[in-house]
Formats: sequence, structure tokens, C-alpha cells
Amino acid sequence: MPDKKYLLSSSPHLFSPVDTPRIMLSVVIALVPATAYGIYLYGFPALAVVATSIVSAVAAEFLFRKLIRQSMTIDDFSAVVTGLLLALILPPSTPLWMVALGSIFAIIVAKEFFGGLGANPFNPALIGRAFLLMSFPAAITSWSMPHGLALPADAVSAATPLNLVKQGNALADVAKYFGASDVGAFYRQLFMGYRSGCIGESSILLVAIGGLFLLGIGVIQWVVPVSVIGSTFVFSLLLGMDPMLGVLTGGIVFGAFFMATDYATRPLTPLGQAIFGIGIGLITVLIRKFGGFPEGVTYAILIMNAFTPFLNKLRVKKYGFVPPPKPAKPSKEAVK
Amino acid sequence: MSIKTFKGGAHPPERKERSEEKSIERVTSVSQVVIPVNQHFGAPIQPLVKVGEYVKAGQKIADAEGRMTVPVHASVAGIVKKIEPRLQSNNTEGLCIIIEPKEPEEGESSTDFMPPLDPFTCSKEEALARIRAAGIVGMGGAGFPAHVKLAPSKPISVVIANAAECEPYLTIDARTLVEMPEKVVEGVAMVMKIVNAPEGVIAIEENKKFAIPHVEKALEAFSKARPGINIRIQELKTKYPQGGEKMLITAITGREVPSGGLPMDVGCVVQNVGTLCAIVDAFKEGKPLIERGFTVTGAACKTPKNLVAPIGTLVSDLVKAGILEIDEENLARVVFGGPMMGVAVPGYEIPVQKNTSGVLLMSRDEAQYYTEETCIRCGRCMRACACRLSPALLAVAVEAGDYREAEKIGLLDCIECGTCSFVCPAHRQLVQKFRVGKQILRALKQKESQNAR
Repeated sequence: MPDKKYLLSSSPHLFSPVDTPRIMLSVVIALVPATAYGIYLYGFPALAVVATSIVSAVAAEFLFRKLIRQSMTIDDFSAVVTGLLLALILPPSTPLWMVALGSIFAIIVAKEFFGGLGANPFNPALIGRAFLLMSFPAAITSWSMPHGLALPADAVSAATPLNLVKQGNALADVAKYFGASDVGAFYRQLFMGYRSGCIGESSILLVAIGGLFLLGIGVIQWVVPVSVIGSTFVFSLLLGMDPMLGVLTGGIVFGAFFMATDYATRPLTPLGQAIFGIGIGLITVLIRKFGGFPEGVTYAILIMNAFTPFLNKLRVKKYGFVPPPKPAKPSKEAVK
Repeated sequence: MSIKTFKGGAHPPERKERSEEKSIERVTSVSQVVIPVNQHFGAPIQPLVKVGEYVKAGQKIADAEGRMTVPVHASVAGIVKKIEPRLQSNNTEGLCIIIEPKEPEEGESSTDFMPPLDPFTCSKEEALARIRAAGIVGMGGAGFPAHVKLAPSKPISVVIANAAECEPYLTIDARTLVEMPEKVVEGVAMVMKIVNAPEGVIAIEENKKFAIPHVEKALEAFSKARPGINIRIQELKTKYPQGGEKMLITAITGREVPSGGLPMDVGCVVQNVGTLCAIVDAFKEGKPLIERGFTVTGAACKTPKNLVAPIGTLVSDLVKAGILEIDEENLARVVFGGPMMGVAVPGYEIPVQKNTSGVLLMSRDEAQYYTEETCIRCGRCMRACACRLSPALLAVAVEAGDYREAEKIGLLDCIECGTCSFVCPAHRQLVQKFRVGKQILRALKQKESQNAR
């Protein structure tokens, strides 16, 4: 026998070329259109927020893994995804130090404290946003009108469509506020994305293109986005809110495609995913209708994240499932 | 014809083109054979010959009493040189009988075959006895005794000839269909007769469409010779593990083999193409299972081939004889079987045995190896699992030592096809964990039942 050593390992001996970095990069690619549009709408400040968020997320992961002497994981690009996602759900006017703080909190507290990639129970980007929203409510809820690439002297503060609805304005007035002639035109405008809001969530069209790209290449599955958007529509209708506005504004489409589908924090089983998505829609609508905030997608997803371990118990019936034999009832004599 | 399949699975790279068009080559002379005594799934058997004894090809050289036993026969005529443990293709050392070929004395025959037997007229008991006497086991890889499989205790409605050959690289079943379709068709008919089944199906994956016309022709000729036997071809989607017994049954009949049950529980018997040919030989020629077809391929194999060689032929002897050429510099992994379920072995001085469907000589490029990363819970394994077992959750349970939960998820239902490990983006060794976990769980259950007694 030749004395050279051959590779010995248990089968299979073939592997799919799809690996973790490739999946993470495809999420980044899917976010490019929405990010680019956000930068187009809000100019340099938006770009600065995105860059700060990504850099601090990667740096936080790098330094923390160094500190706790664990394997280096920044090359799987998951920190890039977290940083980018957090930036896209912040207002463009967020001070950069806040952005960095939120990003570091998301990586270290929400992700690494629980064991890093795949082990975190809550979506890190949403935890980052929730943390900022609670710590600096004024900054995270101050919006500006899109002003393009031109640097404005001071951004005009504005309200989001959901703010206005929450304040009790009629839909036609909200449409007028954004310069739309009627409600139909306003819907089209919302779909295209020219409105005040977070950096990456405003254009439903571009977010959906990114989401459909991920669906198409099999990185995400349809159950979660469809159940989130569908249930938001239905529950809005049931609670007497405008369902089109409910879906087209706020972060529901962005959340449905990019936040609720987060691998580590959504259930793995199809039935679990459906309940998870419906729960997100329901809680979002409840917060919008009865809560103190005009928008509730962040908390809705975080709350449903907590149910994920339980929803994972709703497994598909295995191949050839045979129901276990029922224990025989004790005979009547035995009872007597 | 509609193309059928099962739910789940994956598409590993096929890489069949290297040997797909190479006609089956027969290896007639070998310098020695190393015949493992135990090549079947079941109770161990013992050698019946002594060192120095002269044996004829086809002579029984090992056997034992018991239902789950299958005899082993000398694959060449010659002298028993040694009986000693050698490395087998399952990576363990097992007792092997080493025979050096020698011409018989004048006037003596070199073979010791049984008289032919007509399975269409003989009794079921005679037929099953012949199949056992011929030492036939499932040649797709499992090595399950054929005489046990063909004696189901439940009525059988369909006999399925497994020509799916879903393992990448392997092409021997496809070549058999092209070159000996009559034999396969006849084998299906024989098995149908033995288990008294009204229907026979030859299951072929789409990527082996080129074999279908050959089989159709053979079916036509056969229906003229023996009218009234209902055999058809079923095309299947090219998908791994389409050739798994359970997946094949589900694709063709829509039935699911109950958990812990056997194909006969849903009225099916599945036999590999190679096994069917061996059954035909056993009846028509009285020839026991002493040779088999297999594919030798891989990027480090300069001469990809489909071979028929005596059981016990060492792959290294094929190289010495110039039948195979190996790119030794580039060879990084040797696998007995297919790339998805085959066993990586430490060399190629290992005998071909009854369940060897292929020998892969993988090059450095092909022989990938990855370190395990953390699970990102993407759910690819859950969608790929043909048994719908939630491998991601199962792995958590097995790693935590929670065998009660693992059993509930279906650890014992795992067919170990390896699709989960193939699709895992983090290169988790899922099926590897389940293989170990199954053994531990079985041992635990045995202990429990002993304590309960």
C-alpha cells in the first residue's frame, strides 16, 4: 500500500457550494437597491449612517471575539448584514455616535452574548433599534422630508405617514401633506418610496425587488413574508384601518422580507413560520391601533422571536409517521 | 409518461459523464482474490474451507445456520492460500479467504455451479432456497439478504427494479440497462413470480433517459415470449436520494413505508438492478453471486470504467494488471460506493465485495473537506430531508444527549442518505452525528428493555 495518506471522513463526500458567507453576501446584494435609494433620498447623512453602522458592527464583532479568544467570524459577513440592516431602519438624521452605539449593542449584547451567529434568540438589528428607541426616543423619531443629494443647511423636520394617521388625520390630508393629488396617487407614491421615513424601508418596490431576489435564489422562503404582509393587511382591515396604507407605509414590507426571515430568530418549521408571521402582523396592527407608537414592526418581530423555540415544536410529520398506540383504557373492573 | 418523484432531496453534481458511455468490461484473470467472509447484513458466518484446499469457482466456502445469513462462494478456481483478517471496504478488518487461481487438473471442471432451475415452474420454497444458496444480497449497497426480502409475510402488489442510480459518479446500473436489458426485465418477472406480485416497475431517473429505449425493446420482446406479465418503465426526476428504497416507493406508488416498518408493509419489494441480474444467473445458469459490476471513476482515475470482476478482486491488483490507471499524485480520497453514502478507505488494496457498486478515486480538487461551523438555522436541511426529520433540531437534541427528544423527532427513521450534510452551508456533520446517535439510541433502548424484564 502506498504510504501516502488519503483523506478519511464519513460520507457524504460532496458538498453544496452554497456556504454561510455566500448567503450573507446575497442578503447584502438584495439590500443594495433599497440602500442606494435611501442615499439618493437623504444624501450624505444617510450614507454616513450606513457606513458607520457597518463599520462599527464589524469592528465590535472583531474586537469582542478577540477579547474572548474565540474563532474569528467576521469573514462570514453576518456582522455586515446586521450593521446594514440596523442602518436601514434608522432615521437618516440619527447622530452617528448613536448609530455606532446601537450597532455595537446589537452585535455584542444581542448576538455575541448569546454565542454568536445562529445562537441569538432576538434579531440583533432590531434589538439595536429598540435599544436606541428607548434610550434616545427623540432622535429616533425625528424624521425629515427627502431632500435629495443636496446637503440641506438644516433638515426640515417632518412626520411620517403613520405619525399623521396616528394623530387622527384623514387619509386625504395625509396624501396632501406628501404632495399627492389623491389617495390613489398617494398609494403609488408610497409604493415607489418618496416619503419621510427610515433610510431603507420607504420604497416598497425596491425592498420587494430585493426580497424577491432572495426568494428566487432560495435564501429565504415565502411563508414568513407572505404571512406577515397578508396578516397585516387582514388585521388592518378588521380593525377599521386602511389596509393599503398599513402595508405600504412603515416598515412592514422591509420587516417581512429582511427582519422576520432572519434565520436564527424565526422558527424552522413551516407551520411555526406561518404562526410566527401572522403573530407579527397582528401585533404590528395592535401597536399601530392602540399602542403609544405610530409604528410597531420592531416590537412585533421581537415579541414573536421569543415564541420561536416553542413554534419549533410544530414539526412536520416525519416520513411514514405512525401515531403512537394509545394506552389501553383500564378495564371497568380495574376502576372499581 | 409522467415523471414522478418524492418531496425534498437535493441535486449533487452528477459527474457521470466520465464513465457513462464506457461499455462494461469483464475482468477474467486475476492474480488473487480476497473474499471477505461476511459481506451481508445479518448474523456472521464461518469459513468452510481450510488453507491449502483446492476450490472451484462457485463452490461454497463459508456459511452458517440462521435466517439472516447468506453463504459466500469462491469466485475463482484455485488454492486457498490464507484465511486471515484483512481491511474490508467498510473500513473494519474482517476475516477473508484468500484464493490464488490455479487451473484445474485435466478433465476436471473449474466451476461448481448448481443445476439450472426454472423459477416460473418451481415452488416458492425451492426458489427462495436457490436464492439463498446462490449467496444473493442486495447489491445496491446495504447487502440485505435477498431470500429474506423475497419472503414477505404480507401480500405484495408491486415489484420495483431500482435503476434510479441517484448516487453521483456511478454508472454501472445505467450500463447494465443499456447492455443487458433482457436480463433486468427477466429478473423483475422472476421476482414478481416469487412474491406473487401483479405489477413490475423499472424505475429510471431522467438523466438516464438513453437507457429507456433499450429497456422498452427488451420489454416488448419479453411480452411476446411470456405474455401476461405486467412490467412497465417509470421515469423519475433526477434527484438525490431518489434511489433510496422508501423514496422510490413513495415516488412510484404514493405510499409511505410506515416508521419502523418494511417496504412489504405497503405491498412493495424493491430490488437493485445488479441484484436482479444475479437472481437471473442463479436460476438460469445455477451460478452463485461470484462476480459483480461496478464503476471505477473519479478525477484521479485516468481510465474511468464499468467493470465486472470476481468478488474479492483487489482494486490494487486491477492497477497492477494494467486494467486501471491511477493518477497517484493527484489522488486524495478513495471511496467504496457512491460519493453520498460510500465509505472513505485508507487505500485501494481492498477487495470488491457483493455490495460494492463503485470505487471512486477522487482528486485533490474533488475531495473537499471542511471544518464544521456554527448552525445558522437556515433550514436547508429541513427542506432537503427526504424523511422530513428536521435535521437541524435533531442535531441539537443529539448533541445535547437528549435521545428521548431525538427519537421523537425521528432519529431512528433517518436513512443516512447524507443530503442534510450535503446542503449545509455551515458544513455541519449532521448525518455523521445521526449515525452515531442511532447506535447510542439503539443501545439505550436495548438496555431499557432488558431492565424492564
